[in-house]
Amino acid sequence: MKTIFTVIKKELTDTLRDKKTLFSAILLPALAMPLLLLGVTKLQQNLLNKEQNKQLKVALIGAPQNIVSQFKDTTFVLVNDIALAGVKDSINNGSLDAVLEFKPDFQEKVSSLQSGGLNLYYKSTNLMVEKRIREKLDSYKSIVMNDRIKQLELSSEALEPLSISKIDIASPKEQIGKMIGGFIPYIFIIFCFMGCMYPALDLITGEKERGTIETLLTVPASRFKILMGKTITIALIGISAALMTIAGMFVGLKFIDGIPPDFLNAINDILGLKFILMLFAMLIPLSVFFAGLLSAIVVRASSFKEAQSYVTPLSFVIIIPAMIALMPGVELTWQTVWIPILNIALATKEIIAGTIQPAHYIVVVGSLILLAIVAVFFSLKQFSKETMVLK
Amino acid sequence: MIQVENITKQYALSKKQRKELQTNSTSISAVNNVSFTCKPGSVFSLLGPNGAGKTTLLRMISTILTPSSGDIKVDDVSVIENPQEVRRRIGFLTGSTNLYDRLTPGEIVKYFADLHGLDASIFKERKEQLFEQLNINEFSKKRIGQLSTGMKQKVSIARSMIHDPSVVIFDEPTSGLDVITANSIIELIRQCKQDGKTVIFSSHIMSEVDLLCDDLAIIAKGNLIYNDTMDAFRKQSEGKSLTEAFINIVNQNN
Repeated sequence: MKTIFTVIKKELTDTLRDKKTLFSAILLPALAMPLLLLGVTKLQQNLLNKEQNKQLKVALIGAPQNIVSQFKDTTFVLVNDIALAGVKDSINNGSLDAVLEFKPDFQEKVSSLQSGGLNLYYKSTNLMVEKRIREKLDSYKSIVMNDRIKQLELSSEALEPLSISKIDIASPKEQIGKMIGGFIPYIFIIFCFMGCMYPALDLITGEKERGTIETLLTVPASRFKILMGKTITIALIGISAALMTIAGMFVGLKFIDGIPPDFLNAINDILGLKFILMLFAMLIPLSVFFAGLLSAIVVRASSFKEAQSYVTPLSFVIIIPAMIALMPGVELTWQTVWIPILNIALATKEIIAGTIQPAHYIVVVGSLILLAIVAVFFSLKQFSKETMVLK
Repeated sequence: MIQVENITKQYALSKKQRKELQTNSTSISAVNNVSFTCKPGSVFSLLGPNGAGKTTLLRMISTILTPSSGDIKVDDVSVIENPQEVRRRIGFLTGSTNLYDRLTPGEIVKYFADLHGLDASIFKERKEQLFEQLNINEFSKKRIGQLSTGMKQKVSIARSMIHDPSVVIFDEPTSGLDVITANSIIELIRQCKQDGKTVIFSSHIMSEVDLLCDDLAIIAKGNLIYNDTMDAFRKQSEGKSLTEAFINIVNQNN
């Protein structure tokens, strides 16, 4: 035990003095989510505002006066004298945003309680155009509706046979679980893996590349203990990367405007001791699994470059099951509970929503622990081969 | 005391390696049935051209590699039966050994002392003595990355000697070092001899060998082709330079 501790102490000192490790394992995961969230929401808001306030150039052909008057505000520019033949070109080259062509009998039909026809020419690729024109047409429509209700002496309820009051019994927690629940594990699994990756290269391949391994192999301390010390160090850095991601995400959410208070309350609710403990119980074996797997793979490489070429394909293998958990309809069942990575992602989703079944959770943690043991055993096997350890 | 008894090291060849080496045999011998003895209080030098198997042999003595057959006894402890116990008795230093760049000399020496399971009080005493002797105190708190090659080599020495090994193994300890730094190694070897330790070192620099060594062995292509005292070797060289004599012996056995 003392040897393992000695190795951990040395490796942590060594690796934490490396700015690259600090950046990839602590700083980047902590900042990634807030920056991403902030960046995306700000960008989205900006784009929406821009589209919403942009003046639309619209041509109305054969429009009745009470429709024309709907479009008389500062956000629309009405263009007159348009020949129908050139409409498509005008929209394509951007000189017009949309054209409304009213049928000759439009007014007549509307007046006689029928549907008046019109063609709306626009490009669906121009966001918001259709929506903004519909808003105008809808307000015309409601005026006509009111007139008709009066004319036919109907109550407005006669035209609305259903009155639905929605009672959503999904708690805010569950809603969040569904909305971002898949995203949280996706992000922390990836950062946990990346957090393990750099120290694994540094602590295992680095010893070979720098030629320090020979001396290390001549000490009486057992090779198993030395490897365990290294694996634990790598796993610790992976865990810290994952935790920094989650911490960064929750801190980031508090500083972004426009998040409904219900949502924030629910997030505070999620971040309880229970969530953190349950997450830890999965994160620890996950990190040890990553550490063992990475060590076993990079031990055969004699340079960083070579090690990187082994590890990069592996990161895809890790990302794919994490991505599957993002898909709608993929849930924790007795089948998915056995699939590594996918099971931890799905379980996290359920824990956030508060709907996890204890039996599922035990299997997830149990299978992760088993996997971690297998990975460490595998890496010890590799580490014991003299052809692997020496250049 | 090191007793090397009929030691052989074979490596299995993969299909690709067989093609590269244009051979049909499934294995290659890096060291072939070699025996010799290194006595305490004397310096044994292992000579041989590049690729002769010197490093493989020294790695087997230091338990980094396991012999395919034969045995090596270090102070009467077998490297095959009890490698852990052998490791307690040996200090290992190579010219190409690097250190951990982000640690300080103090931290590195402490790390290796801990891995050797040294008592705190013994460690303190040994460290003070070694740091004093090698003038490491001036830079003991700087990180290795900031030190010169000479300073690093001194730290490597301190690291290899911290547990006061009775057997010291040097694999081309002076290769790539300037004369002044190389001299610190030569001093160390003399010191070890004086202290009654068993010293084995590999080299192909005859002047160094001439200066230090009591017994020598020459190996080529994994085979032992000469093993005698330095005095006998000098006599045999019949007025030729030692380098010439060395080349002659290697060529005769080619």
